[in-house]
Amino acid sequence: MNILIPHKWLLEHLDTKATEAEIQKYVSLCGPSVERIYQIEGESVYDMEITTNRVDSMSVRGIAREAAVILEQFDVRAKLIPSKIIRNVKIDVSPSQMLPLPKINNDPKLSKRLICVVLSGVKRNETPDWMAKRLKQTGQNVHDAVIDITNYITHELGHPCHAFDYDKLMKTGGEINVVEAKKGEYFSTLDGETFTTVGGEVVFKNGLDQIIDLPSIKGTANTSIDDSTKNVLLLLESIMAEKVRFASMTHAIRTIAAQLMEKNVDPNLAEDVLLRGIELYKELTDAKVASKIYDQFPGKKAPNTVEVTLTRINEYLGIDITMEKVVSILKQLECRVKVENLKTADSNKKTAGANKAAGANKVAGAKNANDLITVYPPTFRPDIEIPADVIEEVARIYGYHNFPSVLMDTPIPTHRQKGVDFTIENRIKRHLSSIGLQEIYSYSMVSEEIALKTDSLENHLKLNNPLTDDRVYMRLSLIPSLEEILDQNPQTPELSVFEIANVYPVVKDSLPNEKLHFSIVSTLPYREVRGIIESLMLKLFVENFNIDIALGSENENIGVITATNSTEKIPVVLGAIKVQDNGRTVAEMEFAKLLSVVKTHPKYQPIPKTAYMVEDMTFTLEPKTLVGDLMTTILKLSPMVTDVKLKNQYNENFSFTITYHDDAKNISAEDVEPIRKQVAQVLNSIYKAKLVGEV
Amino acid sequence: MKANMITIAELKQKIAEIKSQLEADLIQNLAKEELRIKFLAKKGLFNELAKIISQVKPSDKKETGQLLNEVKTEITESIEKSTKSSSDSKNKWVDLTAPGIKPKTGHMHPVSQAMEEITQIFERIGFSRSRYPEVDWDWYVFESLNMPKNHPARDEWETFFIDAPTDKKMGKVVLTTHTSNGQVREMERLESKPPIRMINIARCYRRQQDATHTQMFHQFEGLVIDKGINIQNLKGTLDYFAEQFYGPGTKSRIRPFHFQFTEPSLEVDFSCHICHGTGFLDDKTETPEDQRQKCKFCKSGWHEVGGAGMVHPNVLKAGGFNPDIYTGFAFGWGVERTYTLKEGLNIDDIRLLYSGDLRFLEQF
Repeated sequence: MNILIPHKWLLEHLDTKATEAEIQKYVSLCGPSVERIYQIEGESVYDMEITTNRVDSMSVRGIAREAAVILEQFDVRAKLIPSKIIRNVKIDVSPSQMLPLPKINNDPKLSKRLICVVLSGVKRNETPDWMAKRLKQTGQNVHDAVIDITNYITHELGHPCHAFDYDKLMKTGGEINVVEAKKGEYFSTLDGETFTTVGGEVVFKNGLDQIIDLPSIKGTANTSIDDSTKNVLLLLESIMAEKVRFASMTHAIRTIAAQLMEKNVDPNLAEDVLLRGIELYKELTDAKVASKIYDQFPGKKAPNTVEVTLTRINEYLGIDITMEKVVSILKQLECRVKVENLKTADSNKKTAGANKAAGANKVAGAKNANDLITVYPPTFRPDIEIPADVIEEVARIYGYHNFPSVLMDTPIPTHRQKGVDFTIENRIKRHLSSIGLQEIYSYSMVSEEIALKTDSLENHLKLNNPLTDDRVYMRLSLIPSLEEILDQNPQTPELSVFEIANVYPVVKDSLPNEKLHFSIVSTLPYREVRGIIESLMLKLFVENFNIDIALGSENENIGVITATNSTEKIPVVLGAIKVQDNGRTVAEMEFAKLLSVVKTHPKYQPIPKTAYMVEDMTFTLEPKTLVGDLMTTILKLSPMVTDVKLKNQYNENFSFTITYHDDAKNISAEDVEPIRKQVAQVLNSIYKAKLVGEV
Repeated sequence: MKANMITIAELKQKIAEIKSQLEADLIQNLAKEELRIKFLAKKGLFNELAKIISQVKPSDKKETGQLLNEVKTEITESIEKSTKSSSDSKNKWVDLTAPGIKPKTGHMHPVSQAMEEITQIFERIGFSRSRYPEVDWDWYVFESLNMPKNHPARDEWETFFIDAPTDKKMGKVVLTTHTSNGQVREMERLESKPPIRMINIARCYRRQQDATHTQMFHQFEGLVIDKGINIQNLKGTLDYFAEQFYGPGTKSRIRPFHFQFTEPSLEVDFSCHICHGTGFLDDKTETPEDQRQKCKFCKSGWHEVGGAGMVHPNVLKAGGFNPDIYTGFAFGWGVERTYTLKEGLNIDDIRLLYSGDLRFLEQF
């Protein structure tokens, strides 16, 4: 998530002469990214991206702390200004004017900490200009001081807090019970929206079992500040992160407080925020401290302990960084560090480096007493848990820009994945696109209408949460998508497109049988589209490519595409081709089947030493004569017939070019004549084909 | 004279037309056989012309016959000589300024072009390409990548869920939000044995749509695992890619970031080719920065292209590798994003890539 940090506010916590540009450049290299610097209200404001693991940086002070460490690495003097928060808070009222704290029943399983104080006699003063300016700079609304102080200190220090109307709270029994909501309870947030609980949300309840707060997320109307508020209960709680996330996500209440608290804000921070709040309430609203500070902190934890060896650090980094440097970096980051013997560690490391150079295969991460570093991160860094986390801290502060850039010298893998062939995919794409086809990438998800063109809806995978109505079902065919593309491009009436992409047939209780399909859709006449596919098959050295009329289909315009498997030499059905009623020719093949028939190279046929004889014969054919079958018949009549081509067609007259050849001798007209007669006779008897002219 | 009668003058005109047609064909160097068919065959141009004889005045018939004979001889001789004359045609005038006649060509989709180039670059340094499911188990997409259920880090992946039963072990069925589902799958394919140097390029899906996001997009994922793989190797790989893909002089930069499945995690930037990594369009380095002309194409001199990092020990474990012995790095970036940063390409709306608009696609 992003945070806006005004430069001048930052300088209240960071003592440096660094320019805005320097801060942007250096902090981005080693810490949170300063994406932009805006000019808001006449001042520079950094727009920074904070990663989800670094909620400690989601505040002005958090950034100052990071910047102080980072800038120093670049020899830019910078220091975190020590906190000026007044620690010993005195009660400002006489004992008789003191207000009782509500009765608090915390559940340590739900809230790690609960800290609060009663402030009496708040005046509804206007938010002072300096604070209003900063709230505006950070994109927050300005109300009046009583409300704005809570937002201000949250932004400054990073722990959300809430100001209750003390009197409203006390009127309904003065109890705060930290409990999980049951299903079907109601609460209204301070902006008036009403919600029903699903059960399991952590809530504050009063003695009447009413929900009086959605802690760490948003206040409820029945206890919130309003125009009549005179006394305030300033309270910070630390609800378990996953509980905050659950309630916030369930009800889609994504407040800044929720977004922070779901990421494990350090509960130790709560006290500083409370004290800073007291300061500001006194200063800006004339509030008086009217109770002791209540603080219950059952979730107080000893800091993490992480052990890592210097060897391991250097293995990850690939450079030889000294123990001294590692320790110095970690200490700057406020980690406590324990090392057995600094100097021994560094001299040992040198030996390790020499071993590495000699090619010794040391076991990574081996613990060596002299090499071991024990790290105790500060409480605000719960993200440092494992050795790799420590390594990251060392690496980023050392500076990734200081690392050399070296390619791997490890072995190159040789076990390629089976069932894929990206070379063939590219060869197909290159061939088709160079002979005039356009490659398309269309969406894998289609509308209900498009899905129904291929199969019933039950046979499609369906998205639970589609973004738009036209992308709901995972497609089973690429053809409807490609036809859509043709429809969308009326300016190009003669168009052939293709796509290689997955389809997703449903498999019960399993992932779909995802498989690659290859489809062509074209407005060209059938013979031209078939010619395109034939030319592709030639390029892929496919044997016995053929298209047969689909048996058992009522539609005579559907053909089955077959070829011979390149290893087992058995026929394989690759897919189908169809001439649609709209005149378009569409073809779809299973890519895996296609892969089974392609070859990387042809089988060379010796160049014939004898001459060919080429002749044309023209036949008048009956309607619906299957020319493909007829040509096969000619080809099979004699071994001397080596090729038959359809030369041209005029009405019912078809001219064929027949090539005769004999490997053994140069054939003569006398050799060809009987075959020619046989052709005429056989075609006449099988197909009732009449030869035009004489034999 | 009848209306449809043809005069000698008209006949001569027609003869001249045929001759110039023949001349044009000879210049184009048409094959002899083709010329014969066109001019001298039964239905050739000469025979068509010869039919005219029935339309001339009886008194002109003789002259017509002579003219036709002459032209036939002339055509026959010209065609017979054509091979010779074409090889001998040094002096024949060709209009070199005339426009070319292009064969019909199509276009490989820009995403395919980018993927091919990316694959080739990584193959040169020992990577091999794999392919993994686009519809996958939550386990491979999130859980095995150190992202437990309900983890806030999952918010960044706007996930599409499939309407299918949840598997006890593998979880829900989702559309892959990134190619990182290939990480543990690749480790499993190689039976948790090094070396791994994978490049996985695939369709990914996220619930978002605007000028820089489409519901469907492509990512390429690199994964390297072995003994002694370190951050320098990651940097070396990134630098190699940047120079190869964007051209010499392109710099890469890595900055700290956070992903659940890498530790350390990094964001990868490439230097902007417009401002050469400076963030400014002018070279007035003396001028205060707020008065200089800022580059609008990039964020302060750099383009974020995606994430990278050292493979998290938990991910290595999920793939059966002992994290005390092996280390690795991974990176995953959008193909579209990476491609559109190419110098001068100028695509400002990536939705165009999947629009199927030929006016766009034909430019590639």
